[in-house]
Amino acid sequence: MEALATPEKIVAGLAAVLIGVLALIALKNDWKTTGLDNNLTKVLLGLMAFGCVLVIVAAFGILPRGGS
Amino acid sequence: MSVSVAKQGHVRGAAGNSLVHDEVIYQETRDMRLLGFALFLVSDVVLFSAFIFAYLYLRNTVDTWPPVVDGKQLPRLDVAFAAVNSCVLFGSGVTMHTALENWKHGKKAAFNIWIWATIVLGTLFLCGQGYEYAHAQIGGWSGSIFGASFFTLTGMHGFHVLVGVIYLIVLFLQTRKGVYDETHYFGLTAGTLYWHFVDVIWVALFFLFYLF
Amino acid sequence: MAVVSTTTTTVAPHAVLDHIHPEPTSFVRRYIFSIDHKVIGIQYMITGLLFFVLAGLLAELIRIQLLHNDARFMSPEVYNGVYTMHGSAMVWMVIIPLVTGGFGNFVMPLQIGARDVAFPWLNLASFWMFPIAGVLLFGAFLVGAPDAGWTEYPPVSLQGPVGTNYWCVAIFLIGISSTLTGINFIVTILKMRAPGMTLTRMPLFVWAQLSTAALSMIATTALAAALLALFLERVFGIPFYDPTKGGSPILWQHMFWFYSHPAVYIMILPAFGIISEVLPTFARKPIFGYKMIAFSSVAIALVGFMVWAHHMFTSGLAPWLQLPFMILTMIVAIPTGIKIFSWMATLWGGSIELTPAMLFAIGFLITFTFGGITGVFLAAIPVDLHAHGTYFVVGHFHYVLYGGSVFGIFAGLYYWWPKITGRMMNERVGLWHFWLTFISFNCTFLPMHWLGLQGMPRRVATYLDSHDAVFWNQVASISSFVLAASTLLLFGNMAWSFYKGKRAGANPWGARTLEWMISSPPPYYNYKRVPAVLATPYDFGNPLPYIGLDSPEGTLPTPQLTAPPAPAPR
Repeated sequence: MEALATPEKIVAGLAAVLIGVLALIALKNDWKTTGLDNNLTKVLLGLMAFGCVLVIVAAFGILPRGGS
Repeated sequence: MSVSVAKQGHVRGAAGNSLVHDEVIYQETRDMRLLGFALFLVSDVVLFSAFIFAYLYLRNTVDTWPPVVDGKQLPRLDVAFAAVNSCVLFGSGVTMHTALENWKHGKKAAFNIWIWATIVLGTLFLCGQGYEYAHAQIGGWSGSIFGASFFTLTGMHGFHVLVGVIYLIVLFLQTRKGVYDETHYFGLTAGTLYWHFVDVIWVALFFLFYLF
Repeated sequence: MAVVSTTTTTVAPHAVLDHIHPEPTSFVRRYIFSIDHKVIGIQYMITGLLFFVLAGLLAELIRIQLLHNDARFMSPEVYNGVYTMHGSAMVWMVIIPLVTGGFGNFVMPLQIGARDVAFPWLNLASFWMFPIAGVLLFGAFLVGAPDAGWTEYPPVSLQGPVGTNYWCVAIFLIGISSTLTGINFIVTILKMRAPGMTLTRMPLFVWAQLSTAALSMIATTALAAALLALFLERVFGIPFYDPTKGGSPILWQHMFWFYSHPAVYIMILPAFGIISEVLPTFARKPIFGYKMIAFSSVAIALVGFMVWAHHMFTSGLAPWLQLPFMILTMIVAIPTGIKIFSWMATLWGGSIELTPAMLFAIGFLITFTFGGITGVFLAAIPVDLHAHGTYFVVGHFHYVLYGGSVFGIFAGLYYWWPKITGRMMNERVGLWHFWLTFISFNCTFLPMHWLGLQGMPRRVATYLDSHDAVFWNQVASISSFVLAASTLLLFGNMAWSFYKGKRAGANPWGARTLEWMISSPPPYYNYKRVPAVLATPYDFGNPLPYIGLDSPEGTLPTPQLTAPPAPAPR
């Protein structure tokens, strides 16, 4: 098992929280916009926020890693 | 040609004639370019999906993952470094979004700062990828199905990031030349969409290679 | 790009036309690197027909080889290269470019009342990838032709000669071209239709092109991925497919057929579209079941994505996976059957005019239906296990691709030739062409069905020494020579017509779709004024559903359009 808290992991986790919040704020600001480009942007921003969640999961070892 | 046409958006018939059919004139409108660009992104998603399918298919053919090569169990990839590098890329998504928002509101100085932040972060991500490639102990590109799928998929993604960085630099130079203004900036929209798209592809790859 | 003039006070149609890319004057910009969809369409047709001749000659080499079962004409190695190149060229360099790039480019923008496709420069790029890919593909003969069949299954394709790399690059290029054309066409059809032309007022050929474009845009990139991996494995030894390095040959089959089964529909849907135009015109009747034909194209495109593994029943696919693929494959027969019956109902009670185009359309109905039905046979797993890899399959897909796609191409050529060139083809020669083609086609490919059921394997340079096999192979070979010769009648007819043919006028067939409302060949900008569309184009007996059109013959009323077009009077 890898070390639970290395400096990289702490940096990554904190950065991911920050970026995720910023992405969600951007998403909220854009929420009422219309048009193909804006809708696509919202989907992509949402997915990116999900990516930040994944980074947090990875950094703090919330879920066990896959593989066997 | 293209620039002036894009700016016209909707050309009326000569002398402001209001005949419906006089207004339907051949030109590339923003609408058409946007749809075409979105469709391009869709076909690019299929390209990545096909390789992701290949990765999952190959992964499913072996008993243990990472696979055993020449009697030696390959290690997992370094998740901590990749997490930091992911933050660099996701952060660049936020900066690009901010850049475009600033452009929409006419704040060109802020736009310049944010687009350069994006370019720098994108380049940093590529450097991080290089570091990762140099330190991944999985037997190289041609060593196993692990190396084949990892280096091919992340390499393709890296190529997209590289193209994106070049694209953003070109866009910046175009803004300097006055190609875009506050109401006509389709190139910047497309660049931002492309950059977000590259981020989101990385979400999938990060999950599939580092967590799954 | 001319500057938009807003100061002119007189409304001359040509002033309006200034906003379009200007008509080029130099030969190169006009005919070689043109961005006009009509010229690009013709370029696709010429290049495609050229490769049709080359790939057809390869087919004749195969049939000469199979005249006897002594494998003397070609060595088995050469034979492998010949059938591989025949298949690859016919699929990627002939049928797909002809039906999408050729007819799609020339006809589709005219039919929706557009002045060009959405991205003319992209169109130019798409076209020029095609001859480059073709030269690369045939260039493989110089360095050792690929020899694993058009499907290039690993591990054989991994061991193939260096020409296989050329094959990879060529097909990759034509795939990119196909993807870009797909994107271009979708945007064109969705964004550039004439006012009043709702989706359900589009000509059926446009519906077919829309479904095809969606297929080529999505499926072709999967092929690009498969080819890239094959290329990487062949050149750099990256293990994807080689089982000795941990790869999986079955992976290629999945990725390849995920593209190549939809590719079958890429090849046949535009032919369906051509038939849907030809039949009502020469039966002088509204097409039966307009919406069902249109939606069945879309349904075929959708289901077409979910049937690929029926090519892999003998590859050791899990049994629980085989069953849904079998059922879904059979489901494709439902929308296809809807089309066939709608076409037959269109013919029913019509005043049928047997022009060459109409004959090929009717011939299409017969041969394609036959090929479709053997397709349902092959979808059944027990039958497939027996017939897989035999001449039954060869017979089946030649009925679909020659009796379907190529008959459709011939019908389209006879139908739109007057529009393309402004001249008529010789009808009598056309009739000879049809009857010779129809008879020799059936004599060539029908025997393959029972040869296959008796166990004659495909892709083998010889066959068992039995009286039956020799006899039927000789029937097929001799008929195939007649088939090739009959095609010369078409080319001769085209050449003769180009110089000597009777002038066609705008609408020689009395057809009702938009492209026939302008002069033949169409002017550079297609429509001086884009008309408004009031109804589907197939209501024979009703007045034409267009207003505001500048007719070349002055037969159409051109009222001033002040209000949005009224709903269709149906």
